[in-house]
This record gives sequence, structure tokens and C-alpha cells, in this order.
Amino acid sequence: MLTFVIRRVLYSLLVLLVASFLLFWFTRQTFDPTSRLRASRDKTVVQRERERLGLNDNIVVQYGNWLKDAVKGDLGTSSRTNEEVTSMMRRAMGNTLQLIIWGALISAALAIGIGVFSAIRQYSIPDYLFTGLSYIGISMPPFWFGLLAIEVFGVQLGWFKFVGLHSGDGSSYDVDYLKHLVLPVATLCVQIVASWSRFERASMLDVMSADYVRTARAKGVPRRTVIFKHALRNALIPLVTVMALDTAALFGGLIITERIFSISGMGRMFFDALLTGDVYVVEAWMIVVALFIIMFNLFADVIYGILDPRIRLS
Amino acid sequence: MRTEDEVSGLPAAPLGVPSIPDGLPPAPELGGAPEPEPRSQWQLFRRRFFRHRAAVIGGGVLLFLYLVCFGAKFIAPYDKNHLNLLLGPTSPSKEHWMGTDELGRDQLTEILYAGQISLKIGMAVALMSTAIGATLGAVAGYFGRWVDQVLMRMTDLFLVVPGIAILAIALKRFGQTDTIIILVLAALGWTYVARVVRGQVLSIKEKEFVEAARAAGASSTRIITRHILPNCIGPIVVNTTLGIAAAIVTESTLSFLGFGLQKPATSWGNMLADSEGYYSHNTHLLYFPGLMILITVLCVNFLGDGLRDAFDPQSHH
Amino acid sequence: MRKQRRGAQLFCLLFTSVLLVAACSSDKKSPTGAGASSSSSEVVPQGGTLVIGAEQEPDCADWFGTCGGSSWGFWMMNVNTMPRAFDVVKDSSGTYVFKANIMLKSEPKLETTPKQKVTYEIADNAVWNDNTPITSTDFKYTWDQVVNGKDIYDKTGYTNIESVDDSNPKVAVVTFSSTYPDWKQLFAGGYGILPSHILQGKDRDTEMKDGYKFSAGPFVIDSWVKGDSITLVPNPNFFGPKPHLDKVVFKIQADTSAEFQAFKAGEVSVVYPQPQLDAVDAINAGLPGVEKEISVDTGNFESLWINNSKAPFDDKIVRQAFGFSIDRDAMVKRLFGGLGVDKALNVVNAKIVKAYSDENAFSSYKLDLTKADQLLTGDGWAKGADGIYAKGGQRLAFTIKSTAGNKRRELTEQILQEQLKTAGFEMTIENAKAGDLFGSILPQGDFQMGLYAQVLTSLVPGNCTLFCSTNIPTADNGFSGNNWTRSNVADLDTQLKIVDSSLDENARMAAGKAADKIVADNALTFPLDPLPNTLLWSSKVLGPVQDNGVLGPFFNLAEWGVAA
Repeated sequence: MLTFVIRRVLYSLLVLLVASFLLFWFTRQTFDPTSRLRASRDKTVVQRERERLGLNDNIVVQYGNWLKDAVKGDLGTSSRTNEEVTSMMRRAMGNTLQLIIWGALISAALAIGIGVFSAIRQYSIPDYLFTGLSYIGISMPPFWFGLLAIEVFGVQLGWFKFVGLHSGDGSSYDVDYLKHLVLPVATLCVQIVASWSRFERASMLDVMSADYVRTARAKGVPRRTVIFKHALRNALIPLVTVMALDTAALFGGLIITERIFSISGMGRMFFDALLTGDVYVVEAWMIVVALFIIMFNLFADVIYGILDPRIRLS
Repeated sequence: MRTEDEVSGLPAAPLGVPSIPDGLPPAPELGGAPEPEPRSQWQLFRRRFFRHRAAVIGGGVLLFLYLVCFGAKFIAPYDKNHLNLLLGPTSPSKEHWMGTDELGRDQLTEILYAGQISLKIGMAVALMSTAIGATLGAVAGYFGRWVDQVLMRMTDLFLVVPGIAILAIALKRFGQTDTIIILVLAALGWTYVARVVRGQVLSIKEKEFVEAARAAGASSTRIITRHILPNCIGPIVVNTTLGIAAAIVTESTLSFLGFGLQKPATSWGNMLADSEGYYSHNTHLLYFPGLMILITVLCVNFLGDGLRDAFDPQSHH
Repeated sequence: MRKQRRGAQLFCLLFTSVLLVAACSSDKKSPTGAGASSSSSEVVPQGGTLVIGAEQEPDCADWFGTCGGSSWGFWMMNVNTMPRAFDVVKDSSGTYVFKANIMLKSEPKLETTPKQKVTYEIADNAVWNDNTPITSTDFKYTWDQVVNGKDIYDKTGYTNIESVDDSNPKVAVVTFSSTYPDWKQLFAGGYGILPSHILQGKDRDTEMKDGYKFSAGPFVIDSWVKGDSITLVPNPNFFGPKPHLDKVVFKIQADTSAEFQAFKAGEVSVVYPQPQLDAVDAINAGLPGVEKEISVDTGNFESLWINNSKAPFDDKIVRQAFGFSIDRDAMVKRLFGGLGVDKALNVVNAKIVKAYSDENAFSSYKLDLTKADQLLTGDGWAKGADGIYAKGGQRLAFTIKSTAGNKRRELTEQILQEQLKTAGFEMTIENAKAGDLFGSILPQGDFQMGLYAQVLTSLVPGNCTLFCSTNIPTADNGFSGNNWTRSNVADLDTQLKIVDSSLDENARMAAGKAADKIVADNALTFPLDPLPNTLLWSSKVLGPVQDNGVLGPFFNLAEWGVAA
């Protein structure tokens, strides 16, 4: 087991390194860190800044320097606000993690619940309903869903709030906070809940018709035990894969959700940085997100390895 | 990073838009890849497909949409971009079936022309990414060893950052035209097909008829194109259709963020993005473009499901 | 599975039809809300928190630096915390005028001979929030910072100052080396006065950029949660009328539509949105419990700025023909009609400086395709088979550039494109982000036509900056001038210099009007609209809520209150 994990971690680091270099190169090509300074009245400042930031060096050298600083915790400063990227990132991550963690937990719970229920009660009316909703959930552009949700649930019905994560300048985690959380999490997760629930349903059905399950039933083991002890566990295995891989989609979806709901998280930060050409923020964002995705995949690999011994031994 | 030979689940969906699976491709250990079917199985396929009414209707509606949109020049009641500043936005009426927008343009006309772009992007991206992915996946699966390793590492790289982010940057860099959108979406979307095809190829290549072909001296290219790929048609076709859906939705997301097509080019995504504020009045501006996307993607999904079932009757139901 | 599919398919059909019906249904009409602005005679209760929507988060709170130029930053934080020599208020006739702030004992004395000299007498009770008195040393420190400080945004006017005498702590005597007629915006305007006792010896930018705790206004910055909100609380040691409110929270929301939704849902009580069409339509459809003020007398003016040094617009005839090929009135009526603005702006200047401008300079430029054709054919142009004019193999085509992401501007461009196509011009649209546009594209002349607005932050008619040939940005001066249109007309230079340097008000006004006429006759640029300001507030907000074209809508925040 240990070698498995170590092999995986090393491999992931390599991927991270290569990916980060490519992203770094791509970003540096597209954006100019000194573009904002061109508006300044002092015309020599652009040249000075280029020297100071080492922008005239070879790209590999630039990457090396950047990496050296990044490992020490210095991700540069935003060319827009002169704030350190690390503190911006910490703040943004705080908000984003709330959305992602709640989102992933709730989506997983809902998806498994709906999937298993639909599999058990195949062809019932709730099953049709869920299937229909899934199709629609997948087919709607998520931002459209978000906008409509705001209008219906936020403005017309007034059940939920939709500006940031707290009212006014509050910061407590209470009912108000929950009211703020519902719509953004729903928008973020509508697609993955729809897809995961369908996946889980199919997986469950697959497993329930497997030989060993039928054998157990034939032997008289009660249905409930069969489902929860055997079928569910095996049905979860492939779902874990899909869930881990879809996390990348979550980070992408954040950009929309945070914009619509005015939450200042990672998505918002990336978007603003992109609009203003804030290079250091964009680079840092790419790397941090890549790191997270790799971590999620690693995590899923390990869980998978635990759940399915065949994998560990290969 | 997970690689195909270690997982018996579905690989990552195209560009983060999850697909709706109804059945799982059986694990490789069970040897469940579809048996190579002689061409006369076509009738069987056709019969299985037409039994799925949803898929047939989906396909029909899709075809109708393509015809109507690309025939806009003949069908549309008004000229494209025909402004009517005095009129301004109006609700659907007899003269304007879908109403007018802020500049008095007939929405039905605009939707039809916008549909050309959206559908074109969808189709082009799906075809391109499938072509690239199928080729690379087949090559990786067939030749194995280091070729396979290189390819798998490449796909891992592609999975590491959210596609939307790369897309947005690429659009800023290269300009916001439909060609760039198509190219970048295709460049990001091939990994999914590659993995699927590779998986299929891996299980087929050990079969006897392939051995026989090799023994008879057929070149690798010939083996791949004439014997192996035709048996992967199933997942390839299914992925193409699903890719259309993903591309259209992603394009609309990009437009919403402001990275979409530069005006005056319009797409449904663009129109939807522009209509953001119209919730309580002029709602027709908000609903119609969204509906078109919803309908198109729904049809594509139904069609894809039908095709998948038709190609592989062993997937249950 | 077939049953499954059919059920699901049925559901999808149902859902889709519901949406279809929703789409086709006619507009809901909500009851009209009251339209008048709050009267100032109502009693304003003490206490309460107010949440205001902010469309833009400032990049920093260092007002003197290059990052501190944000209008919202100025309106939210600067106006209510920084002491200033002059306020800008509306007089009884509705014109904006300078008025000495309460930190001064009286109107400053101006002497013009032998040199320009201004004497400021500081009020005895004028103190900072740590009870240190505001002194003339603060004036001196501010001047020193602007002229010698690091990374200063704009030094205009301060560089004309020769010395600031602070021997008497309560009297600041400012002597000028060369005349500067707009001295009233010094130690005021977008900057204010800095506390020398706090900042002396420190790095101004570091101390201020993320917010600062000093203040000489009615409020103090309590906190700035980046990306989320800015909170102000009353300054307990303010020497003027204390605020009614306990707390003001500015909630940051960059999306105008989302901000509007939030306003309707009551999450914010005041909004000051960009005049985007959907917001305007919503306002006109009626918003219950909402009051509004739309001001056209603003410091904004949006125009079609022409690069006079690049083809095809280096030819005066082409520029004039352009003016007759578009219908500016119809355009403005469509885009701003909902706000009561249905005539195009006819002068390249803001309404708040109308005393110095000729408001009808461009009124002869109306849609007249015959005249346009006459001008062009007389100049050697002929319409090709594609309906576009051409001369000597060159087609009459150009690109327009504007700020990306502004829906109203995109609509403006689309209208222009269609109108011009009918007239025989071919226009392509190529928008760029604001930073690039104002930072490099316009200064470097990499454009043929630009669509953007100028915003005056003081009652200073500053058209020499825009039109004097001495201000043309070139590679030699590092592209630092603001005459992006590259206008170069000798008569214009003369008139504008008078506006900038004469101390005779009547002469300045006459010269300003003459200058506007020259701009119009030469078609150097085409004004479009006065970009009105829209202020909306819930009826539970009490007090004299109103906009100020220079100081922004929160200039009298201290007098606002909320209903219990």
C-alpha cells in the first residue's frame, strides 16, 4: 500500500512541475506584468520594473526564480492592488473552500441518495422525475440556472440571499449564512449532482444484477442487508473516480458562480486578474488550482486503492 | 494520476460537463468489449436505435434545428441585424414571433442566425476532438509501451487545470473568434475520446482476427484503420454527439464571462449572456436563447443515449 | 428502460414548455413607485445601519498614487474622511460652485499681484479624529508629497506652487510661481489634505493603500474586507454635524444586473448603477418602495473620439461627412430615453462646466445622407458595388475601440455599425479592456476611433489637456500627453490657453465657447451623450439623499438615516 501511495505522490509532483512550467510560459506570453504602469506619468518606471522583476531574462530562468520564491511562500504581488498574492490567495481560498466543501459533500450525499433510491425503485414515478431532472440539469448552462434561481428564489420568493456569503459586514456562521449558501452551492453543483446521481444509479443497477448479489438473495439474505452491505460499497467505487475527476470542473464552475453571487473567492480572483492582466495572480492561481486537483486525484486514487484491492496489487 | 488500465470506471467527461451514463462499459477483465460485428449487423443496429423513441425524436429535432438555422437566409422573416431604434424591445407578437431586443431587432431572425454559429461550433468541436482523440488513442493503445506512456502523461497534464481558465486566456491572447473557440475547445476535449478509444483498442488488439491480419503482413496503419477503429465506432460516435452538447454549453459560459465572440457575430450563448438583466420584464430575451441551448443539448443527450444503446446492447436495459 | 426514457422525456417536455410559456408571456407591470427625491424637511432618526451597493472596488485607498484614481474609492471613502479646502455644491440656481469647507474659517483670500497668493484660515475647531488640530503644516506636507512624493498620479497645479508658509499653524499662505486659475481644486479635489503629524517620515502609500484610520470627516474607515465590503463608522471627534447612522456598509458587487437584483430583494438599500439598459427598463417598469434621482448635470461626457492623424479621419471632409452620416439623437434616445435624455450632447464638454462651453456647437450635425454624399463625392470618394465608399483603391473602412464588457457601449457600437453601413462607411468593432485602452492603445495612437467617456472631477474646464497641440502624446515625450485625438489647430490652442491661464472669468468663458465652436467646425471629435447618473434608494432611507456631479452621491452621507 505504501509503495503505491509513494509512487503516486512522486508521479503527481512530476506532473505538477511540468504543468506549472507550461502554464507559466503560457501566461507570461499572454500578459505583461508592467502593462498597468504604462498609464503612469513617469515613463521610466516601466523599464525599471522590468529590470526589477527580471522580465528580460530567459523564460526558464524566470520560471526557476518564480518557483524558488513560490516554494518559500512568495507568490509575487498583484500589479493591480500591490497586495501580496499569497494573502489574496489565502483570503480567496477561505471563501472558495466553503463552497467546494459544502458543494462536494451535499452533491455526494444527494447523488448517492438519489442514485441508490432510483436504482432500488426503478421505473417508479420518483425515478422518472429524477431522471428528467438529471437530463435537464445537465443540459442547462449553469449560469442560466444561477440567474433564474436568483430571480425565482432570491427576488420573487425571497427565500434565500444571493449577495456574498454574509449580510452587511457580518461574519458569523448562522442561519443568515446558510441562506446565503444555498443558491451558490446549488448553481455550482447542479450539473455534477445530475451526472453523479445517474452514474450512481447505473452503477448500483449494475452491481445489483451481479451474480454474487443474486446468490446472496437466493440464500435468503434480506434485501436491505444486500443493498447496504454489498451492493452499495461496490457501486461506490467507480463513483469515487468520477467524483475526483469532476473536481476540476468545480474549479472552473467557480468562476461563474462567484461572479453571479458576488463571492470573493478563487473564481472571482482569477476572473478579475484575467480582465486586468494581473499576471502574478493568474500564475499563482493556475498552480494552486493544479495542486488542488492533483491532490484530489491522489486522494481518490488512495481511496480507490483501499476500496478495491485489485488496484493496489497491479 | 489515474490511468486507464487501473480503473474500470468511466474516464473524465469532455471538458468537465459530465455525461449521463446509463450503463457502465464492462470491466476489461471480464472481456466485455463488443465482439467485432460483421457489416450486416447494420440492420440490427438500425432496429435497436429506432426502438428508442426519445433518441429518434431527439435526432429529428436536432436535424430540424440544423436545417432551419443554416437555412436562415431563406427562412428568417427579417434581415440579420436589422435595427429598429424606434421600436425597441417588445414582447412576442404576430409581427415578431419571438419579440424584439433593445435595438428593435427581430429575435427569431437573430436566434436563427445565432444558431448557425452555436451549432457550427458544437459540431466542429465534436468532430475535431473526436478525430484527434480517436487517432491518438488508437495509436497509443495499439503500439503500447512508451508511445502509450507519453500519451497518457499528456492527457494527465490536460486534466490538471480547469479548461475554462485556459480557454479564457487563449481567447484573450488570440482573439475572440469562432475559429479560435473551436480550435481551443477541440484541443482541450480530445483527452476523453483518446482514453475511451485506447481502452477499446487495448481489449481488441489481442483478438485473433488482429493476429491474423498481422500475420498476413498488414501494416499497422491498415490494421488500425480497417480492423480496430471500426469496432470502436460505438464510443466514438457517442462521444461525438455528447461533445456537441459540451461545446455549446461551454461557449455560452465563455460568452457570459465576456470572453465570447466579438460583436456583431452572435451565438445563442452571446444572446443569453446579453440578456442577463431581463428577469421581470422583457423576459423573452432571457428565455429564448436559453431554451434553444436547453433543447439542443437535451436532444443531443437523448440521441447519444440512443446511439450508445444501439451500439452496445449488452449495456443493460 | 423504454418506460424510463419516455417518463423522463415527458418531464423534459413539460419543463421546456413551462419555460416557453414564461418566455412568451407579456411583461409584468409592477406598481410605480414614488419618483420624487426625499425632501430634506423630514425628521431623520438617529441610529441604524445602512447597506449600500458598490459597483467597483477601488484598487487602493492611496488617493495620491496611480492606483488611487477610482471614482468609487473617492465617493465612498475619500469624501467622508479627508479634509478639503473646498466643497462643490449646487447654488440656488442649480449651478455647481465651489464653497469653502467648514474646516476653513472663511473663504480663502486670493491676491494676484505681484504673484498669485492664496491665504487659508483654518477654523479653530478643525481637528483630526485623534484631536490633533489641522494645521498649515498639513497643507505644506500635502504640497510636498504631491510634488516630491513617489508614484503620484497627477501633479497639475501643485507644481505651480512656489512655497507654503506654515509659520502660523492656523494660517496657510500658498504662493504661486506662475498663475493657476483653478486653485480652488488644490488641497481639495480628488486628493484632500494629508495629516502631517501621522504620515511625516513614513511611506504614504504603505500607510494608506489598504485603508487608513485617520480622518477629519464625519466618518472613519472601520474595515475594508477586500472583495466583500467597506465599513464606515462615525468619527466621534468630528468638528461638524455628526452623522445620524451608526454604520454604513458598502457591499461590493461588480455586476450591475446582480446589484440590481440585490437592490430589489432588499439586500442593499441604495445603488448608484451604471445606466445599463436593463436597469433603465426596470426603473421605468416601476419599482415599488423605491425613490430615484437621475441627474443629467454631471461631470461626464461620452464621445466618439477621432484620431485626427490617421486615415481615413485625417481628412476633415471625411470627418464632417461622418457627422452627417449618423443619427446621434436617435441613438441617444434609444439608449438613454428611459432616463429622460433624448437629445444628443452637442458639445465636447461636461454639463457642470456649461458656463464655459457652447452647448450648441455640434447641433448642425444631424442625419443628412445627401449632405454626407455631397461632401464625400466632392472629395473624390465614390460608392463601390458593395455600397461602401472608396477612393484610389482605399475603402472607407475603420475600426472603433471601446471598453470591453460594457453592454451599453456594445449596443452603441452596433447601432453605429448599422447606421454607417447604410451611409457607406464600414466599421469594425474591436474592444479592449479599460487598462489597455487608457494605458496604451489611446496614448500610443493605435486607434482610428474610440468610444469612451471623460469624467471631470472638479469644476475645472480642462479642454486644453484634451485638445492643445502641446499635449499630443509622442514617442519623444513617452506618450504622456492627453491629447489622444492628436488635434492640432492653432486657433484652438490660443483659445484654450486663455481658458487655462487667464484670471478674468468673462474672458475665460468667451474663450471656452469659441474653442468649442472650433472643435465642432473641424469635426475633431463627436460628442454623444452626457452619461447621466442614476441614484436609487429604498424609501426606508431618509434624509437629503441626492447626487453630486463632482463629489458623488455620498457627499452628505452624514445627513442620511434609516427608518426604524
